[in-house]
Amino acid sequence: MKSKRFSIPGRMVLPTVLLTLFVGTMFIAPLIFTFDATKIAVSERLAGPSWAHPLGQDGFGRDRLARVLYGGQVSLTVAFVASLIALAIGTFVGLIGAYFRGPFEFIAMRVSDVVLYFPPILLALLVVTIFGPGVTTLVAVLALLFFPSFSRIAYSETMRVSVLDFVEASRALGTAPSRIVARTVLPNIMGPILVQFSLTAAACITVESGLSFLGLGVVPPAPSWGQMIRSARTYMEQDPFGIFVPCAALFLAIYAINLFVDRLRDVLDPKGQLEGKDAVSATKDGAGTPELGEGNVAELRALTLTLDRGADLPPVDLVKDVSMALRANQNTALVGESGSGKSLTALALMGLLPSGIQPTSGQIAVGRKAGTPVDLASLAPHAAEQVRGNDIAMIFQEPMTSLNPVLRIGFQMTEALQAHSDIDRAEAREKSIAALQSVGIPEAASRFDAYPHELSGGMRQRVMIAMALLAEPKVLIADEPTTALDVTIQAEIMDLLRDLRSSHGSGLSMLFISHNLGIVADIADWVVVMYSGEVVEEGPTDQILRDPHHPYTRALLESMPSAHEDLHSAKGDRLDTIKGTPPLPHLRPSGCSSRDRCPMAQPVCATIHPDLYRATSGTRAARCLFAPEAPEHLIQKEAV
Amino acid sequence: MLRFALNRALSAGLMLLVVGTVVFSILFLVPGDPAELLLSSDGITASPDAIASLREEMGLNKPLLAQYGEFLVNALRFDFGVSLIDKASVGDTIATRLPRTIELILAGLVLAALTGIPAGTYAGLRPGRRFDRIASAVNAVLISLPGFVIGTLFIYIFAQFLRWLPAGGYTSFFTDPWLHIKQLTLPAITVGLHLFSIIFRMTRASVLEMRGNDWVRTAVAKGLSRKLVVRRHVLRNALGPVITVVGLQMGILLGSTVLIEFIYNWPGLSGYLVTAVQQRDYPSVRGVILVVSALFILINLMVELLYSMLDPRIRLE
Repeated sequence: MKSKRFSIPGRMVLPTVLLTLFVGTMFIAPLIFTFDATKIAVSERLAGPSWAHPLGQDGFGRDRLARVLYGGQVSLTVAFVASLIALAIGTFVGLIGAYFRGPFEFIAMRVSDVVLYFPPILLALLVVTIFGPGVTTLVAVLALLFFPSFSRIAYSETMRVSVLDFVEASRALGTAPSRIVARTVLPNIMGPILVQFSLTAAACITVESGLSFLGLGVVPPAPSWGQMIRSARTYMEQDPFGIFVPCAALFLAIYAINLFVDRLRDVLDPKGQLEGKDAVSATKDGAGTPELGEGNVAELRALTLTLDRGADLPPVDLVKDVSMALRANQNTALVGESGSGKSLTALALMGLLPSGIQPTSGQIAVGRKAGTPVDLASLAPHAAEQVRGNDIAMIFQEPMTSLNPVLRIGFQMTEALQAHSDIDRAEAREKSIAALQSVGIPEAASRFDAYPHELSGGMRQRVMIAMALLAEPKVLIADEPTTALDVTIQAEIMDLLRDLRSSHGSGLSMLFISHNLGIVADIADWVVVMYSGEVVEEGPTDQILRDPHHPYTRALLESMPSAHEDLHSAKGDRLDTIKGTPPLPHLRPSGCSSRDRCPMAQPVCATIHPDLYRATSGTRAARCLFAPEAPEHLIQKEAV
Repeated sequence: MLRFALNRALSAGLMLLVVGTVVFSILFLVPGDPAELLLSSDGITASPDAIASLREEMGLNKPLLAQYGEFLVNALRFDFGVSLIDKASVGDTIATRLPRTIELILAGLVLAALTGIPAGTYAGLRPGRRFDRIASAVNAVLISLPGFVIGTLFIYIFAQFLRWLPAGGYTSFFTDPWLHIKQLTLPAITVGLHLFSIIFRMTRASVLEMRGNDWVRTAVAKGLSRKLVVRRHVLRNALGPVITVVGLQMGILLGSTVLIEFIYNWPGLSGYLVTAVQQRDYPSVRGVILVVSALFILINLMVELLYSMLDPRIRLE
């Protein structure tokens, strides 16, 4: 039947076979064997299964197998024909409405809506009252009930498709509307319509059998499953088998169709699929009590974060061997392109790694206001809750979505306070309003009762900052806090963040994450540059910005439209860009990860993976064979 | 908020008017004489006398517009005429039977919500794990079983085979509360199972979608306990879509309750409706459908208002 299509997706095989088998049995078996569904044999009424009647006989002595098969034919035919009519009418109405708009749209959509005002079975009963029961009435009723779902889907899908580029293009070329609809729009909306067709077929079987069960659908002597259940009910106690047979047939038909729909949806829209797995416990070397260096408030030592890609693919290291120290009352900037692993590194500090990503080696340590340092990524959930928001806090990139839209701002602030201290509501409110004032929110008392959507993006980010600082943490992680904001607002938020250290009484160390080296100049004391999951350069901000040692850091600086023209004014007014894109974590080149995009790359870069070489004189370090920090013998040895 | 409520109420009123108009006019949209149509079956035409008297009885001799006006005014006064069969007032019969239908639906709804929301939440928070896989598989079976099939099987299993509960019937709560509850149990579970499958599915999907949101991460970063994160920042947001879908499903539920009441001999609106359809008692059918459709529209009005209380952004639109 589908022999020409070799490419039936794996997940579709089972439901397709099941459905084909089921429909095939209903329609082909009666052709091979001779069954008589209406022959009455009163003497054999309610007889059990025999060779002549494998499923036994019903209350009139009729062959039950024959009745189930013929009943299936009737039910499936009614459902199929009705769904097909509903599909044709509904799709036509929806297409017209969406494509021609104006009055067509209004009439098409309102007519469909009216049908949806009625509970479906009741509308069916109303029609049956007027026309009397029968197969023709049934098909008409079902088509009437279900055409609106098709017109709605056709309408919304057409609206979506008709603004796509290629449809606009063929319209601009002067193609006739009917041709555009038939050739361009229709094929693109077939997926959802096919799904709806299957759903409708299942619903038709349900409604049809329900009406027949009431004696208002398929009229005897023609058999149908609903009717079989109805008549078997009378003899239920003597002959329960008579009920199970049609019930099972009905269930199987609907189940097979539903399974088909579910799988079809998965295939059409793979996003919805979830490959779940049961919890995997972290396996990490070097675990133990986390320790903090002198004067540090948080530290990462040789941290590697690994993505588990399931049983078929090898795991991938997204972050490799990253060490970083956040010093007390100092701001650190973590800089790199998207995908460099900077956000993951920060999330590891917070213990907020997405599922599937785990620290596989190294150490994470976060200092507490009181008590020993902890590793949030491996701490028990309850213990981690007491540290998060209390000793270390975080603000995120998207102020528009970082606050819960259905809760008042005040509530979201006070719940953060109440999570960490036994504070009464009035006092929490007072503290929160004061915090809002301290981040420059006017009319803080009335903003306290506002919902997030009533505030601008900049205001929301201020709220996020106020909220993060409520419990007076020692460490604040700011993950691209200004990227989503307007340029003028960006400057205001940066000023606010820069002033935090002096205004925050008990001292604050900030980890500021950005892809923009320029923006960190004013705020950070220390800069760490990441590339492809590794630290490629770090050092005091002024040194790194004035004299970058790693070619990638240099390229980052040169690609900045500058507020820092003095740094590289000799370059003229052409803005350089970094060519290419960073390698995917599992496709890193041999040797130096950045060599594909490096203007200085030499053959030796392909053979040696450089370490992070630390200068003997100072604290700065770079991961490049040609950096001043690198031991010279490395290059010479290779060159010889 | 008040403006939003008035706005929604007004549009619900308009929908009611449309429903009334459709129910009124459907008889006249069919070609041929309405009285003749109602009295004919299987091509056998009724006698002219019978047709004439039915015309008189249903007021079909008056001008159409007058009939329409009269119908609407009477419907507002809960007067739907008299039954063609026993001349009983349709409005009175509905008033007696409607509370029983509502009781059954509410009982089913409570059962379904109390089980479906926790189960859906648990599955949605741990997608692909054992509980989710089992619950989703069971749910796929439930969704494929029409209410009247479940009802029929229940009667066999619980009433006839195990003899735990009565197979059907109705006793007023005030006559015998215990018997009333026993008779309510099976029908309510049957109604509830169908609704459970919808609530479970929707809650699971909604929780799954909500838990990936940025504000959930914010809540975790604040140090809230897992319980609070789920209750305030996942479930609270997830319930809006669940309630909307349940409201829309009420239409189908009101319909499938017809079958379930019929199976269990529960004397709600449905038994009345089924008999009326079989006897082609048009005024009775018209009255029941009008009232149930009105109920459906009112439920959806309440759902919209409830949703707007759960999500402040809705009120703005």
